[in-house]
Amino acid sequence: MGRIENRIRRLRFDHDEMTQEELASRAGCTRQTIIALEQGKYVPSIELAFRIARALGASLEEVFQYEHR
Amino acid sequence: MAPLQKRALYSFVIGLVLTIALIIVLVLQGDITAFERDLSLRLFMYAVLIGVPLIYLVLVSLTLRKPTQFDERDRLIIEKSSRAQWLAVIFSLVVWTIALTEIYRDQGQVPVVFLNLIFMSALIISALAQSLGILVGYWDMNRNG
Repeated sequence: MGRIENRIRRLRFDHDEMTQEELASRAGCTRQTIIALEQGKYVPSIELAFRIARALGASLEEVFQYEHR
Repeated sequence: MAPLQKRALYSFVIGLVLTIALIIVLVLQGDITAFERDLSLRLFMYAVLIGVPLIYLVLVSLTLRKPTQFDERDRLIIEKSSRAQWLAVIFSLVVWTIALTEIYRDQGQVPVVFLNLIFMSALIISALAQSLGILVGYWDMNRNG
């Protein structure tokens, strides 16, 4: 089994400390989902992953990484 | 707290209060057959049991339309809670069936009032189980991911 990790928190801060609320609004999800993603407690659908990457101005691979175990 | 989680909590509390109120009304009436005799009581019960969920559904659908209010994670939790909802309703129907069959076996017939009570309990249990399922779903997702 692998694990999907993300750099959402890091990338938010790189974007003038974008708030979770703002990212949620841009990506079309709730702030609670952004919180869960940053804490590694939720793996998004492919569609949401693309929307988050686009909202952060990054590619999918820059935001999400698959760690094989 | 996520918007859906808040609404599930309100729904659970309202459902519990409603259940307790209905039980109190039935107890104050004396016995279970009073419900069958009193038309105004029956109409009041139907109005409450159908009206409250309808008003709640309209309010929820109006407030949870935006993607920033309700998203795929919430949808996933609702889908999981539906399983708990159906299990609870089926379990309650099994309990009603066994209890009524055993209690009224000798008489060969079940008083018609129990149709109303089964309907009311199924509605209440369904609403409570879904709310509880949603709350447990959030708790579980926040704990285990």
